[in-house]
This record gives sequence, C-alpha cells and structure tokens, in this order.
Amino acid sequence: MNEAWRYFLVFFGAALVSNILLIRFIGLCPFFGVSDSLETSLGMSISVIFVMTMASSVSWIAWNLVLEPLGVGEFLYIPAFILIIASLVQFVEMVIKKTSPPLYRAMGIYLPLITTNCAVFAAATESVKPGFFTKLNIAYHYGFLEAVVYSVGIAVGFSLVLIFFAAIRERLKDAPIPKFFRGVPIAFITAALFSLAFMGFAGMFNL
Amino acid sequence: MEEKKTLWGEFKKGIIDTNPLLVLMVGLCSSLAVSTRVENCIFMGVAVIFVLTCSNVIIALIRKFIPDQIRIPIFIVVIASFVTIVDLTLKTMPAVYERLGVWIPLIVVNCIILARAEGYASRNEVRYAAMDGLGIGLGYLLVLLVMSVFRELFGTGKIVLFDTTVLDLKTKSAPVILIMFPGAFITYALLSALLQWYQLRRKRFKGGESE
Repeated sequence: MNEAWRYFLVFFGAALVSNILLIRFIGLCPFFGVSDSLETSLGMSISVIFVMTMASSVSWIAWNLVLEPLGVGEFLYIPAFILIIASLVQFVEMVIKKTSPPLYRAMGIYLPLITTNCAVFAAATESVKPGFFTKLNIAYHYGFLEAVVYSVGIAVGFSLVLIFFAAIRERLKDAPIPKFFRGVPIAFITAALFSLAFMGFAGMFNL
Repeated sequence: MEEKKTLWGEFKKGIIDTNPLLVLMVGLCSSLAVSTRVENCIFMGVAVIFVLTCSNVIIALIRKFIPDQIRIPIFIVVIASFVTIVDLTLKTMPAVYERLGVWIPLIVVNCIILARAEGYASRNEVRYAAMDGLGIGLGYLLVLLVMSVFRELFGTGKIVLFDTTVLDLKTKSAPVILIMFPGAFITYALLSALLQWYQLRRKRFKGGESE
C-alpha cells in the first residue's frame, strides 16, 4: 500500500465509514443544539475543524513525548487530554479575539461550547490510541501525520453531516408534521434516515 | 409547586421535571450508544450516578474557595478524577469493559455532569447537591432502561440479563434495525414524541383551549 493511499483510507474511514455523529453517536449535543440554522452550523463546523485538529496534534505530542515515556498514560490520559483541550480552547479564543475580530464574531460563541464537545475528546484519544472507540484499525499506532489526517477526517465528517442536517431542518420548519412530532422528534427521525444512508459506507475498502 | 427546598423535592425533580435526557437534552451521546442492551445500561447508569453524585458533593464542598475565572477547569479536574476511578474499576471486569469501555472515559465530557456542577452544585449546599446528583442520575438511568428494554426486546426478540434470558418473545424475524445505529435515533424520537404528546394533552386539559 503506498503512502498517499494509506492517508486517504485513514481520512475516508474517519469521515464517512465510521462517521462520528451517525455511526458512533459522539458529539450529538452540539449536533442537535446548533443544527436548526444553516448559518450557526457553518460557524460551528469551522470552529470544530480548527480546534479538533489542534487538540489532537497537541494530545499526540503529550502522549508520545510525556505520558507514555513516564509510564503514566493509562491513568492520567483523561485529565491530561481534557485539560489540554480546555486550555487550548481558551488560548485560541484569546488569540482570535486579539488578532481577528471578524473571525471572533463568527467563531467566538462556539468556542466555549467545544470544550465539552465529546467529539473533540474522542478525536484526541483516538489519534493516540487508534481503535479505542471503534473496532477498526485496532492494534495500530498512528504516526504524527496520520493522527492529524485522522482528526481532520473526523472533523470533516462532523461538519459534513452537521451542514446537510441543518439544511434539511430549515426545510422541515415549513413541512406539515403531526403536532407532537414537531421539533426534536422529527429531527431524530431525520437523523435515523441519515444514519441508515451512512451505513451504506460500511465495508468499503474493507475498512 | 412549593417554593421551599426539601431533600425529597430536589431528588424527585431530576427524575421527571428536569430529566437530563428528555427535558434538558444533555448527555445524549452515551445514552444512544449503550442502550442496545439492558445490561450495559445498568452499568452505565450506575457509573454516571457515582460520578455525578461524588463530583456534585466535592464541588459543593469547595464552592466557596473556587475563584470564578477558573471554575470550569477545576470542575473538570474533579470530574476527571472520579471518571478515572470508574475507568480503572471497570477494567477489572473485562467482558463489561469490552462493550462499554469506550463510553466510560467519555463520561468526563458528558454534558450532564458539567451542567450540574456549573448550574447546581456550585451554588447549593452539600446535601442538596448530593440529592440532585442522585435524582438526575436516576432519571438518566430510568430513560436508559426504557430505551434499552424497547430496543433489546424488539431488536433481538429477547432480553438477556447476566447470561440468563429474562424475557423471550419467541420470534424469528425481529427487526434488527432497532439495535443498529438508526434504531437508537428512532427509539429516542418515539420517546420524545410521546412526551410531547403527553405535555400537549395535559396543557389542553388544564387550559381548556382548543388549538
């Protein structure tokens, strides 16, 4: 298997085959929270791609250079990663606020929300322990570049579904839906159909 | 409803009025993923009750010493320590950890726990915080049980609890879709539609308005 193809498979597997929202149910709270308008879901997507990639890279470095050599990874990874994510988010927020006010206006309100987004934590954990949250690619150690590609893949998969879903929900507002199905229940039914469609990716390229 | 806070009242409200999954809509991820089997739900629910109650108590104890600016990181560290305890404890049961393990570390970012720490434990007395943790945790467990009984019973045709078959429908063509990914969404949608239907009906009885 040549190098580029392997990176593609890592990306494809992370984004579509084991889509973080629909196949693994990670990160659903922001998914149903912000997906009722296209604009907010775009802002959320950009922030998630940004934070997730950074968080995974820093976690990978922390795991491979600090936690693992010291032999404390197994029982310190939860507090370590969550602190990395929380401080990173805070830091990114401050930097953006100082350097680019328009970007801050677009991303600012989503950044604190991302701290408790389980998808970011899962991506960080997965990039150092592949196969931890799925049965795929088990017993395999990602290099730094692969870990980054993997987390970008997860983030792209997240954004893709979030934006599609927001577009559908905007149309649903005008649809004639039985009264007790309006709002949350119909959103979940839509998600179920979406998830059914994504199950079609399972098994492609033996992933 | 009475204004005065009672221990029982704080406990009870978490189960119905502010049920974390159905009303507050927090902590959905884990509930959808683990509700394929009743057995998983029991372990998951107990783990959440433990972490939630302990972190609520600790945070309520130290709430007067926490500087406001760094309260979130402090909450997270408290929660992460209890999650680590649960994580290491469950590792002694390999069969359970195999099925559930991935969701245990994720309790740390489970919105229920941080939301209760921020919204309740950091501004209430210890005994109320403890009751709130127990109540909210029990509300979580109950919804989980309803979902998993529905999914396991109709998805596989029987309920297996600790290697014994508790209930058997004796069917050969169970709709497997219910224990697969879309089934989780469908089950939750039905449950929340049921709740909405109940609320609409209650409102109509009380207000007498027709619409």
